[in-house]
Amino acid sequence: MSSQEHPHAEFDVPPLTETIAPGTATDPDVKSAETTTLTVDGHEVTVPEGSTVLDAVEEVETDEYVPALCNYDREDIGPRSECRTCMVETNEGIVPSCSTPAEEGLEVSTDAEAASEARDVNLDLVLSDHNLRCTTCGKNGRCDLQDASIENDVEEPRYGVFDDRDAYEPIDDSSDFIQIDRNKCILCNRCVEACNDVQVEGVLRMEGHGQDTRIGFQNGAETMEGSTCVSCGHCVTVCPTGSLVEKGLEDAATLPIPGFNQKNSVGKVIESSDVEKGPMTPMKADQVTETSRETGGDAEERQWP
Amino acid sequence: MVRVAGRGAEEVAAAARERTDVPVVDVGSTGVPGVEPLVVATDDGRSAFYANATPDDAESVASVIGEPTRALPDADATVTHDETGALPVPDLDGFSGSRSVLARCGWLRPASADDYAESVGFTDAAADEVVDAAGGVLGRGWGDWNADEPAGALWEGVRDRDGSPAVVVNAHGNPGDALLAESDPFAVLEGAAHVARVVDAVQVFVYVSETDERARDTLEAAAAAYPDFPTDVAVVEGPSAYRAAEPTMAIEAVEGNHRLEARLRPPGPEVEGVFGEPTVVHTARTFAHVAGAVRGDDTSTRVLSVTGDTQDVTVELGETDTVRSAVEASGATDYTGVLVGGRFGGLTRKLDVAPTPIALDERDLGTDGVLEVLGSDACPVAFVGRRSQFAADSNCGRCVPCREGSTQLSELLRDIYDGEFNEAKITELLRVMESTSICAFGRNAPRPVRTGLREFRDHFEAHANGECPSGQCLVDADAEAETEAEAATL
Repeated sequence: MSSQEHPHAEFDVPPLTETIAPGTATDPDVKSAETTTLTVDGHEVTVPEGSTVLDAVEEVETDEYVPALCNYDREDIGPRSECRTCMVETNEGIVPSCSTPAEEGLEVSTDAEAASEARDVNLDLVLSDHNLRCTTCGKNGRCDLQDASIENDVEEPRYGVFDDRDAYEPIDDSSDFIQIDRNKCILCNRCVEACNDVQVEGVLRMEGHGQDTRIGFQNGAETMEGSTCVSCGHCVTVCPTGSLVEKGLEDAATLPIPGFNQKNSVGKVIESSDVEKGPMTPMKADQVTETSRETGGDAEERQWP
Repeated sequence: MVRVAGRGAEEVAAAARERTDVPVVDVGSTGVPGVEPLVVATDDGRSAFYANATPDDAESVASVIGEPTRALPDADATVTHDETGALPVPDLDGFSGSRSVLARCGWLRPASADDYAESVGFTDAAADEVVDAAGGVLGRGWGDWNADEPAGALWEGVRDRDGSPAVVVNAHGNPGDALLAESDPFAVLEGAAHVARVVDAVQVFVYVSETDERARDTLEAAAAAYPDFPTDVAVVEGPSAYRAAEPTMAIEAVEGNHRLEARLRPPGPEVEGVFGEPTVVHTARTFAHVAGAVRGDDTSTRVLSVTGDTQDVTVELGETDTVRSAVEASGATDYTGVLVGGRFGGLTRKLDVAPTPIALDERDLGTDGVLEVLGSDACPVAFVGRRSQFAADSNCGRCVPCREGSTQLSELLRDIYDGEFNEAKITELLRVMESTSICAFGRNAPRPVRTGLREFRDHFEAHANGECPSGQCLVDADAEAETEAEAATL
């Protein structure tokens, strides 16, 4: 869901959302229009209007585990359907259950080979781009990705982990209240929707494409400190991993090994500029949202191999 | 009448105008840029063609045309023909077969409503007639929301839904679409006008790449000159990146989003499109075929553009023809293979395949109407590797199977060079990218690799053994090593 759909249109409120530019697509409504009855792994399930196939899947004891990692589906957030770890087989082929409307008479199967393979491969693809240093992570033990990986019996992700392939981005520790570690971000977009569609703050956005896709700031700032963040903390509460954490809790769940913690785990940190700040929202009023349109072609061809 | 076709025509036409009172007009490209600027001198049912004409050539033609006593200079081709509103196809390199939807390309002044009216005429057929005549037209290209499916059912669905429907003409990226936009924009707009009437649209958006300035300018001029267009019509630009042609990204661009990514589906744009309204998205080619169908023309032909290690051409083939004719029209005779059906088409050496969706699909080839020739010294392993890397660099970044899958696929292909050819792991990834990506970009991105593995297995195995049969990869690697060695000595 995007801000263009004014979630509070029925109320007489000022048009707070018109300059918000989250950088995400305006998705269609992917919920059922009426109460429907469908079958999941042989169990008959009736779900109310506004349901997806995943809602039905969650009602029963399924034959196989369906991680649905990026799904949140509360408070105007989701479905983003980016991780594709909720694939199930239906009579219409394999579909992402989190963003497929619950349709009358649909026959859903979680243990079909193609769906099972797709969930496993996509979960491993998520892990391939994730910093898996769980022991230095403040979300260790309360992380959706960790839970899903354990539940899905991941022992050795087939494409390795982030550490195997790329340079780490520095941890953004510049804000007094919220720390961002993009090396743990799975691009589920929950924080962007919490910030724009629920809090109507217009701070966070999705930016870039391909491997450069990342969570950035609508005012073009490079750091959390330079953004128009009001430190409401909603993004932190919806983050499924340790990518967004409250300051003070970065090491809440790390193993107490001397000298080894979240902040020095990747070796590069953006620190606060330590400039005295005024009230909590000093930048919000006088900074215009940056909405310059994407231009240009595709990247130059890289050397091969 | 003297016509000067193609890019660079202005200067050549200006030279001709200096020397004659006979009308000299700039027309659009013929689809064969290799012979352009092309001067066509038409007099008394005969047209003489002068390929790659210079201003001097144009002057020598202009100085004698219209003078009954003096003969035209020797032409590269001459065609005797009836007075016609279509280009008489000359016997020149690059032209192939008869032309239906491309008939007026290189013959009419693109932005002249009079030329179009005189050639085929504008029709304002009733909605029912349009559905009857053109409802069976199959959507052309990956930028068409209804690719390879009959359009009529889509239109009727949009018409029957509540809302204020929109029509999007997707002229982004594909060379066939760009040719029609530049050379016969009225046919494209007429098709859009027909569909706008069928669905009772309130707005038509014409979507072009920001780098196709000629297409944009020509479409804008034609839209302004169009007699009684049934709705508002606006020409909108998007970034030139390949992904920006995807139908839902086209809609995002039309809405003015500053960053483009694919929308979830279903439901598709026919239910929630531009600003949430039911929307028809077809390519320029599809709309031109719709206009042809309403006139009673044959619409089974396919527009195919040939590119890669050859001369670029855009031709039109009948469904009984094979893609080989198009490749031959480009002048390519010796090639390693051809990627058939777009940026993410299928790689093949066997070109005896009809250009129809069914025949192409049977061979796991694409239907986007682009044939990319790999020259005789090209390495198919490096080619599909680079294409996989392109997918990794150029995807919108939204879904995991496309964003992370294309990156891992490129790495698995690189591993082959290090001796590790894990085919099961590669094909597993290809299956999941194809079955779980949100849009056609990620769903089609595996095809060059999948077909390349099938068609050139021996090359992949050779690379795993440290050999490149075409020699290209080793040459590249040697050159790189030399560059590095040079850099080290500095």
